Amino acid sequence: MDTLLKVEDLNIEFTDHKTPETVVYDFDLVLNEGDIVGLVGESGSGKSMSALAIAGLLSRHDMNKSGSIIFEGRELLNCPRSDLRELQGDKICMVFQEPMTSLDPVKRIGWQVEEGLRIHEKDLPDEEYKARAIAALKDVELDDAERVYNSYPHELSGGMRQRVMIAAAIVGHPRLLICDEPTTALDVSVQAQIVALLKKINKEKKTAILFISHDLSLVSQLCERVLVMKNGYIVESGTTDEIFRHPTHEYTRKLIGAIPNCDEMAIDMVGDDTVARVNDLTVIYRKNGREFRAVDKVSFEIHDKEILGLVGESGSGKSTIAKAMLGIEKKHTGTVEHMSEYPQMIFQDPYGSLNPSKTIGFILEEPLRNLRKDISKQERKEKVIEALKLVGLPEDFIKRKPSELSGGQKQRVCIAQTLILKPKLIIADEPVSALDVTIQQEILNLMLQLHEELDVSILFISHDLRVVYKMCDRIIVLKDGRIVEEGRPEDIYHDPKEEYTSMLLRSAGLIAKGDNQ
Amino acid sequence: MKYVIKKLLSCAITLLIVALLVFVAFSIIPGDPALSRLGTSATESSLAALREQMGLNRPLPVRFVEWLLAALKGDFGTSYSYNIPVSSMIMSKIPITVTMMIMSLFFMLIISIPLGVYASYKEGTWIDRVIQIINQVIMAVPPFFSGILITLIFGVTFRFFRVGGFVAPGVDMGRFLSYMIFPSLSIALPKSAMILNLLYGSLNSEKTKDYIRTAYSRGNSSKAVFFGHMLKNAAMPVITFLGMVIADMIAGSIIIEQVFGIPGLGRILLTSIQNRDYPVVEAIIVMIAAVVLVSNLLVDFLYRLVDPRVEKK
Repeated sequence: MDTLLKVEDLNIEFTDHKTPETVVYDFDLVLNEGDIVGLVGESGSGKSMSALAIAGLLSRHDMNKSGSIIFEGRELLNCPRSDLRELQGDKICMVFQEPMTSLDPVKRIGWQVEEGLRIHEKDLPDEEYKARAIAALKDVELDDAERVYNSYPHELSGGMRQRVMIAAAIVGHPRLLICDEPTTALDVSVQAQIVALLKKINKEKKTAILFISHDLSLVSQLCERVLVMKNGYIVESGTTDEIFRHPTHEYTRKLIGAIPNCDEMAIDMVGDDTVARVNDLTVIYRKNGREFRAVDKVSFEIHDKEILGLVGESGSGKSTIAKAMLGIEKKHTGTVEHMSEYPQMIFQDPYGSLNPSKTIGFILEEPLRNLRKDISKQERKEKVIEALKLVGLPEDFIKRKPSELSGGQKQRVCIAQTLILKPKLIIADEPVSALDVTIQQEILNLMLQLHEELDVSILFISHDLRVVYKMCDRIIVLKDGRIVEEGRPEDIYHDPKEEYTSMLLRSAGLIAKGDNQ
Repeated sequence: MKYVIKKLLSCAITLLIVALLVFVAFSIIPGDPALSRLGTSATESSLAALREQMGLNRPLPVRFVEWLLAALKGDFGTSYSYNIPVSSMIMSKIPITVTMMIMSLFFMLIISIPLGVYASYKEGTWIDRVIQIINQVIMAVPPFFSGILITLIFGVTFRFFRVGGFVAPGVDMGRFLSYMIFPSLSIALPKSAMILNLLYGSLNSEKTKDYIRTAYSRGNSSKAVFFGHMLKNAAMPVITFLGMVIADMIAGSIIIEQVFGIPGLGRILLTSIQNRDYPVVEAIIVMIAAVVLVSNLLVDFLYRLVDPRVEKK
């Protein structure tokens, strides 16, 4: 088979900072026609930089690149931009992580899918462009291709937009498709569809795919070979099978270990007392005069010392339930009873949840200042330090600002903030989905540990069944605002009652033991 | 279509409220139109007679409704001071002020847009910094002062125009237009600086957006990325701002007309306020409100045309 792409000794160094910083060291990669290779690592590992360099999209930045990138026998590194432009969008195409923001919001989908064709195959009749764009939209299994063609990005869902991105990438039959975290922003079931779609494109059109992800289990479903990157280095490479069976680098082992395994489930004692009770909760939104039941007659209880998982895809109503329970969403019918004071919330995005202009000490003190007027300033400070210790952060963080903290540290601060009032119930809304896998693991362990030490109940909201499995004593599966299934994780896992639940299980790569070969 | 009707209706209501406010305000504030017309030496009986003749003794709501009905037919009453119909007084001044507004708008756009684009293209270089500094200075100078400076530099020193030498459009169109260049510039300059700043910031933030990277990944040239993707997205805040600028420009024109000795709407507005010539003042204020509302309406429609995300109801 012909070598399509050969990258040797690629080094990338930023020069626009005061001290030059190397982000990729000695990157090597060989890609043949029809290959499908995964590039795994966490944010900052250099995987996206390497991919952007191969796609020729780093030429506008201040940086030094050395080594060589040879595509179809042509050297791409440091070649003129006009040469790169001949390949970009024609033979080398990219699909980016964020389908929500990667499409031009003011151009119709059809225009954007055709754009590459119009640049690289000039002077075709308009009908030809349209016919090929529609064909590409059909290739990515968009049902109503004609309607999508005339739509604007904001009229489509995230999954549809990512299909559009892929359609725009494959419309000119590229030889190399670089996908940079194409499914990270999507629901699990949509993830599985996109992966299947990429597999199909690879098989039918012999398009070579470089698939970049932080999710090793996803990569293992798709790729024949895997490269693992950390701090700019490729620390391990080989066939997917080899790497899973015999990981040689410690980091790879950590990544594999971070894939939640259903055999090791948390088992602890759930109490008999109820800390919160939700009865017939219904939330109705009105949009364009039409009613939309975000939450539809949902009832459940949370017991003390229990971790209750609330699982469902985006739009299933899980966040709305959390908001109603905290009194943020006031327009609901049905009742929410709290048996204890101060239920607290951990949000999804630790990056945006902390006021950047305040110190960590100030942020942590805030709930005390607002709700516990009876205690002195000195006591408040002691409580802040105690909370920091609980989440494993040093005392001197009091003086730091959020910008000086990593994502994991920020989420620890958010957790510390919820603990400071000593609540009996914490509502955690996707607390780890914005974090890297290895950090996810740390935060989940921390939550489990605090749950045990402090006897606090947790309502754990997530779209990720794998995470929920490991954490929860009981799981509620939501679909379109309704509870479709409820039970202990092992029961749901071995014997899902609803087709929707099995679909979620399959999408998450969790197959019941009996089905495992 | 339903949206257009709704919008027009809300404009009409706004205009009605403005008219009512103006009418009530001028009835309440101290000062007697009859007295200012006859002078302080007038006798009490002649004042009373004039008040009766002017209809000032009748109840306010009645006067307002009468005024409104007449105004709808284009009759804004008679000027107290000049005893001629307000409408004909205003009509003769409208071309002057409107010409100035249009020229200002034109200058504003041809100065701010190319420079804003150029500065953003040269972001971080010394050219960018120089443009920014000059821009800051111009933004900080109020229009009347830039008007005085322009008069000094171009009128007194270089004699590009004769100071105080206004020529009516009916007399000599060419000389009228060339005289209007500098007042229009005075109004346009600080606004250009604001729009430049806004466009510059908007372009710089669009530059780093994901869809721009996507556009590059399809093999677009920098020029194609700019004109095909970036400009339209970056124009949104500028369009919103334009609506506000137009209202502000009208206010600015009143002062500039004084600085350059232009007998436009601003001038008669000021003299009418001094003379308590309320019919004239009311008519002009309602007209200014109408212009502001209509320009905002146009901006709104333009925005809808450019941005598909605005709900079309």
